[in-house]
Amino acid sequence: MTLDLAMRWTEILLAIALIMPSVEHIRAGGKERLLFSLRLILCLLLLYPEIGAYSAYICLAMSGLAVLILHRFEGPYNGGSDRMSLLILFCLTLAHWLPQENWKELAFGYLGLQLTLSYFISGWVKIRNPDWRTGRALRDVFAFSAYPVAENLRGLADRKTLLLAGSWLVMICELLFPLSLASKYTLIPFLVLAASFHLSNAMFFGLNRFVLAWIAAYPSILWLQDRFIG
Amino acid sequence: MLRTVQLILPALIPSWNFFDVIAPSPRIEYQLLDDASKPCGDWQAFRPRPDNISLLTMLRRLIWNPHWNASLFLVSCAERLSQDITPEHSAREILTRMKRDLKAETDAPQFRFRLVFIHREDEALAQDILYTSAPEPLA
Repeated sequence: MTLDLAMRWTEILLAIALIMPSVEHIRAGGKERLLFSLRLILCLLLLYPEIGAYSAYICLAMSGLAVLILHRFEGPYNGGSDRMSLLILFCLTLAHWLPQENWKELAFGYLGLQLTLSYFISGWVKIRNPDWRTGRALRDVFAFSAYPVAENLRGLADRKTLLLAGSWLVMICELLFPLSLASKYTLIPFLVLAASFHLSNAMFFGLNRFVLAWIAAYPSILWLQDRFIG
Repeated sequence: MLRTVQLILPALIPSWNFFDVIAPSPRIEYQLLDDASKPCGDWQAFRPRPDNISLLTMLRRLIWNPHWNASLFLVSCAERLSQDITPEHSAREILTRMKRDLKAETDAPQFRFRLVFIHREDEALAQDILYTSAPEPLA
C-alpha cells in the first residue's frame, strides 16, 4: 500500500466516522450547530472522489475547526474516541503539509505507532492492576460504572468465571497486538478481532463512536507494516 | 494560546490508559423545588438507563446514539466538576441539558442537582455525595 493510498483511505474512513456525530450536534442548535454544520460539509467534501490535492486544505480546515470544538467543550466531547479522531486528523494534516516525503511518512507513521500503543498500553495498565488479573475490575465495570446501556447488563457482574476469562482475553489480545505486525497475515486477523472488540463495547457500553474512529486509523498500521516490515 | 496547547496535547500524545482503574462512577440526581426553594419530592435519577434494550436498539445505536453520547458527556462534566476542573463550564453544560429535559416533564419552578459517586467498598457498593448545586429556575 502506498502512502498516498493509505492516506486517502484514512481520509474517507475518518469522514465517514465524523458524519453521524456531526449530525448529532447539529440538532443541539446554537454555536454547536454552526461548528458541526461546517464539519459535516467538510466531511462530505472529503468523501468526493475527485478531491485530489484539495484534501490537504480540507484537512487543515477540519483541524482548525477541531480546535474550536475543543474550546467549545473544554476538551473532547466523548473522551477517547474524539481523541483518536483528532490524532488522525492532525497526523493527516501534517502528512499533507510537511515538505519532504520522509517527514510525511514520519507524521503518518506516528498515527500507526499510536494505534499500536492504544492497544498495547491499554493491556499493560490492566495487567499491572491486581483487580484486572482477578476479574474484579471487569465485574466493577458492569456493577457500578456509568457504561452498561441497560440495568439488566449489571447482572453480568455476578458471572465471575465469564468475566475472569473475558478480562484475560482482552489483556492478552491487547498485549500481543504489537507482535501481529510481524506479517500482514497476522495483522489483518488481529485488526478484525480488535474491530469486533470495539463493536462489542459499542453494543454493551454504548461506545459507538470508538468503532469507526479506530477503524479509520487502520490504514496507517497496514501501511506502516508494509513499509517497514513487509 | 496556552489553553489551546493544553487541549491539543492529550490528543497528540495520548495516554491510552483506558479502564486502568475502575474509579468511583458519577450519577446525576435532581430534586424539584417550589417557589420558596422547598423540595417538592425525593431526589430522582437524571436520565436513568432502561431496564433492558432490544438487540435491534443496540444495533441502531451503533449508527445513531445522540442521547447516550450526551449522557456520557455529562458523566465527563460530573467528573470534572467534582475534581474542580473547569467547574463553571461543567456545571453550565449539566444545567443546560437538565433544564431542556426537565422543562418537558414538569411545571415545577425550580430544581437543584447533586453528584452521587458510586464505588465499591470490599464487597458492597457505597455512595458519596460530592456536589449539590444551588436552586436553579426552570422557567
